[in-house]
Amino acid sequence: MNLFIDTHLNDVVIILEKNGKIIRKKEIQNEKENSRIIMPIIKDVIDDDAIDSIIVVNGPGSFTGVRLGVTIAKTLAYTMDIPIRTITSLECIAISTDKSQKIVSLSDKNGHYIGIFDNEYNLIGNYEYLSNKEFDEYKENYDIIHDIPLNYIKIINYTLKKESVNPHRVNPIYVKKLDVEK
Amino acid sequence: MKDVYILSVETSCDETSIAIVKNGCEVVALTILTQMDTHAEFGGVVPEIASRMHTENITMVLEETLNKAHMGVEDVDAIAVTYSPGLLGSLLVGIEFAKVLSYVYHKPLIKVNHLIGHIYANKIDNKLKFPTLALVISGGHTELIKMTGDYKFELLGETQDDAIGEAFDKVARVIGLKYPGGPNIEKLAREGQNSYKLPLVANDGSYNFSYSGLKSAVINLVNNERQKGNEINKADLACSFQTAAVDELKRKLELALKKTNIKNVVIAGGVSANKYLRGEIYTLCQKYDAELNLPEFIYCTDNAAMIGAAAYPLYLKKDFADLELNALSTSDIV
Repeated sequence: MNLFIDTHLNDVVIILEKNGKIIRKKEIQNEKENSRIIMPIIKDVIDDDAIDSIIVVNGPGSFTGVRLGVTIAKTLAYTMDIPIRTITSLECIAISTDKSQKIVSLSDKNGHYIGIFDNEYNLIGNYEYLSNKEFDEYKENYDIIHDIPLNYIKIINYTLKKESVNPHRVNPIYVKKLDVEK
Repeated sequence: MKDVYILSVETSCDETSIAIVKNGCEVVALTILTQMDTHAEFGGVVPEIASRMHTENITMVLEETLNKAHMGVEDVDAIAVTYSPGLLGSLLVGIEFAKVLSYVYHKPLIKVNHLIGHIYANKIDNKLKFPTLALVISGGHTELIKMTGDYKFELLGETQDDAIGEAFDKVARVIGLKYPGGPNIEKLAREGQNSYKLPLVANDGSYNFSYSGLKSAVINLVNNERQKGNEINKADLACSFQTAAVDELKRKLELALKKTNIKNVVIAGGVSANKYLRGEIYTLCQKYDAELNLPEFIYCTDNAAMIGAAAYPLYLKKDFADLELNALSTSDIV
């Protein structure tokens, strides 16, 4: 059984998957206090089942949201001594579309994370963060995929084919620069 | 009675720390990973960067602590974690981490107040005796508390404006000292004389403290001298400020020693690392035949061992938290 943890926005999605089937899934939307609900949900979703591996969405997205999910996921993997794999929020969108051109975006209140993927879902170049104004210009020239429903089974299957990562080395990706770094 | 081992986690600011503490008083293992060098580049703690580094390092800090203790998480009796006060994002990393340990190993979870942790740092090696007067002095707190037993607190007085550590930091900035401001003032003050006349804080006969007047006086003095084109003797000003700031603590503590006749004193919080302050309080305690208990230097700054010490009485009372535990950025002891 594989545990999938996605907390990169204010929505929390926790899934228990086995052989391409969703065994249990819990989704909470627009939660303000993620930290209160994530572990209780994980406990409910795991119930008494034995977990074989962990998948965590490691951003980009809400800094705190991503950090909570990643901290929980790496600690679970480390303490349970099971493999952990990461997938980015933008990969999740790319995997969930059938379109061949895959420029995907994820918005927050100040701007948009952008990723360009090939047909094998490999990232071309780097992730970028565009301001709302930059994004509006960009949008005129390209067909951008965003706000689509995610295909969790496809995402989980894809991620399980990736190499697992040492839990110590599992970290969020933030993309957006901090004010002090500018 | 069976020995109790508590694995404790502290991430309230810029130190990632995990400890294993036996019976609330014996440190089996302690790891403190400080981020101070990183934040020094920015002139102060950057909360987002602090949170990021906690997530990056926390499982490695656990591994190191377990290796030092030759123990596994399964060998401890409870998991304790700082939940307040502190930087929200930083606290949350420690809390989620502690919840996972509690969940995976079926161990009770104990939430600990960071400031109470600083008081209980004195319990390490059994030095906390009741009744005691506790002076809690940090960047966010200046409180005089009477303790009659474990977790029995009575607030005698607190700051009416700035905390003492805040005043140290602001004065450091005004006279151009780098982060961390407090320790740098202490260092510079050693080279100076108490030559600048700074106003005494109005004494209202209560146990309450005030630091904004003293801070403003230093700022005004610096501005006035600069306008006149006069050079400021920074070392003398640091010394004069530090003397006045510590005098304010001494006045209130002396009042309490006289009125309560309590013969034990503890100092807790980041500012308690100031050696001049320690010396002055020690001399004052001697005058009243009171015993001053100071934690070892390593337990003065933020560390998880003090959290394990403070968690022990809660463990005995079975005062446990659940997986819904959340962080609180501010909170008081009493």
